[in-house]
Amino acid sequence: MWQMVGRRETGRLPPHKFRALLQKTRLYSIELAGHKEIASAHKSGVNSLQQIDATEARYLLSGAADGSVAVYDIEQATAYDHSTRTSKHEALFMVDKRVLNGHLYSVSCVHWYPIDTGIFVTGSFDNFVNVWDTNTTQVELQFNMSKKVYSLSMSTLATTHMLIATGTDDTRIRLCDIASGAFTHTLSGHRDSVWVVQWSTRSEWVLVSGGCDGAIRFWDIRRAGCYQILDQQCSQIGRRPPVLKKSSRTHGREDNLCTKYLNASSPIRQRGQKRSFGISAVDSRTAHYGSVAGLQMTADGLHMISAGTDSRLRLWDVESGCNTLVNYPSTYIRGNKGIQMAVTPDSSLVFTPSLNAILVYDVWSGHSYSSLRGHYDQVNCCAFHPQGQELYTGSNDRKILVWAPRRPIDIDNFDYEDAEQAIKADEDAWSD
Amino acid sequence: MMKKRDLKSLYSWAGSIVASSTPKKTEKRAKREQSATSEVESLAQDSHQGSYEKEADGFTVPSDTAVALRMIHGQFPKIDKVSVPPFVLISQVYSIVKDRTLVDRELEVMKQDKDVRVFKLSTGQDDFAIMFFDDYVSQVNAIKSRLDGKHPSEDLVIFDWYINHILPIHMDAGITDFHLESILSGVGHQIQERHISLLIKAGLLVRQLAHERSYWLAIPNIGSLLKSLSQGRKELLSLLNRRQYKEVLLSILEKKKLRMSQLDMRFHVRDLLGSGQLFLSHTPAGILVRIPRD
Repeated sequence: MWQMVGRRETGRLPPHKFRALLQKTRLYSIELAGHKEIASAHKSGVNSLQQIDATEARYLLSGAADGSVAVYDIEQATAYDHSTRTSKHEALFMVDKRVLNGHLYSVSCVHWYPIDTGIFVTGSFDNFVNVWDTNTTQVELQFNMSKKVYSLSMSTLATTHMLIATGTDDTRIRLCDIASGAFTHTLSGHRDSVWVVQWSTRSEWVLVSGGCDGAIRFWDIRRAGCYQILDQQCSQIGRRPPVLKKSSRTHGREDNLCTKYLNASSPIRQRGQKRSFGISAVDSRTAHYGSVAGLQMTADGLHMISAGTDSRLRLWDVESGCNTLVNYPSTYIRGNKGIQMAVTPDSSLVFTPSLNAILVYDVWSGHSYSSLRGHYDQVNCCAFHPQGQELYTGSNDRKILVWAPRRPIDIDNFDYEDAEQAIKADEDAWSD
Repeated sequence: MMKKRDLKSLYSWAGSIVASSTPKKTEKRAKREQSATSEVESLAQDSHQGSYEKEADGFTVPSDTAVALRMIHGQFPKIDKVSVPPFVLISQVYSIVKDRTLVDRELEVMKQDKDVRVFKLSTGQDDFAIMFFDDYVSQVNAIKSRLDGKHPSEDLVIFDWYINHILPIHMDAGITDFHLESILSGVGHQIQERHISLLIKAGLLVRQLAHERSYWLAIPNIGSLLKSLSQGRKELLSLLNRRQYKEVLLSILEKKKLRMSQLDMRFHVRDLLGSGQLFLSHTPAGILVRIPRD
């Protein structure tokens, strides 16, 4: 560490590299945070966590199995414990079934409105999707999905629409519009319930969904039908082949080794060719041998990691639709609902819940770095805080744990009164 | 870069393991090995001239996965009652080559080159068996000759179609009715129900429980081996679990014989190592096999 600083001082290490190395060493040393604690307000297992809204990266939204939803401020602590020197963050508010139109059964997914934290959306097993106003903590809009809601997502890139994509027990994916209060699209094609939906991080019109039948489908909502189904047999070794025919001939074994079915309705996709639409609904290509339990797109939208109940994680190249054959060893994923994974913004590490631990893998090589143990029961969800390099995880043991890079303990210079003063003085801690 | 002497010794070592353990080899494989070793010998002769051109067109360094496959294949235990050519479980390859992504990718390349064939086994959620292509083809031919007298020849032609048309084109472990039909109609043959039932009877296709009209490609006569595989695994794990500290030295373990499995101890230890249920640790007393306490 000091050698690195010395090299930066003498100019042998450029500044951006110094910053990147520092970030990387901090990231790889993630462990249970000793300085920060979230006092979970839930009386039952935490099912879904959502950040760390996109605007301020300050508020954490969590949904639990008894129908309660709570919001925590992760920057400003509500109390400070001197003996253990941890700052405690309690819930700013909690809503449950006692609120009018609140959820009666388990909340399976929560999402902040992408533009600001004035609205959040929750979906639950009581067949309803609620749109809440954060300041009044009341339900403003309700959508009746008529089947259990497993997952919902809103696009963070969207400038022209505010659609909520919901994956339910039904085989159809329905898009709800907040502006009009109605269902705008119904996407059918899955052959079983849909457990995960995610909007693409590259285009505001592309939706990815994974279902209980093991298929991952890509939908462009401006057109009818899905335009791509990921097939685990279609694989490529590492990078995609180049476009130029001249250089692709010399590649030999690095060619795109996609195996194609003789099914006439499946489109043969090469780079530069036009996509042909109209994949039939009976197309039975699967991305996993079991159900798809989790989907996570990388920040640049070019790759996607999917988790299946066959205890496998797969890395997909989104544009070519091929499996890159990266092997992430010893995951254990089972269950009857989805899990939430987290990827760091520079796409170097992926955090995946597996039984009572969270496994940390390198995205590109599949190397397993560590397993974070601290929960007493099955871990359901992870959320990564990009600026603080912290990981928040929720599990069935009703706790939300914070994992942060190792901090040096500074015993002598620590001023207790100052820390407490800082918390009390900021009483009207609000943001504009 | 490896010296030519090391390459030759590596390849001859792999070849010697194969030669010492397998009772018989198919013709093609013997010829290939012979030609490879003769090329290596000729290389060694003109080594001081440094003729890199000859090296480029004759001899290619086998990949890690290929060497591991040959080694484990050569160590397959001898089974007396059933005639099954040796197969390798993918967890065994994982226990030898540390980088699993590399194994997956090299295996994919070997599948495309039609060197090996991968089958999904019904014993576990993640069990895949790897068999060399030539071994599998010889097995199919053996079945065909066994069923020769009992069925009319127009039914037996399905085995030829299977070897010549379906196996080279279809690379995955499972196949549906629709694909069978489309592949064979592409070459002008008409497949019927009795052909499919003959393939199922021979043990080459197994119905999938999850989906209708779809099948897993399978290794024939493997039923008793699958039973001994799952029972042997259970027995080995219970052997370790019964002990106080759930660990045993590998040298002691190798001497024991499993009662319920026809496959030997080394096979099961490699398989459980690769699937993560056993761990090895090096101690001053030797290599220790233990069950992780997680």
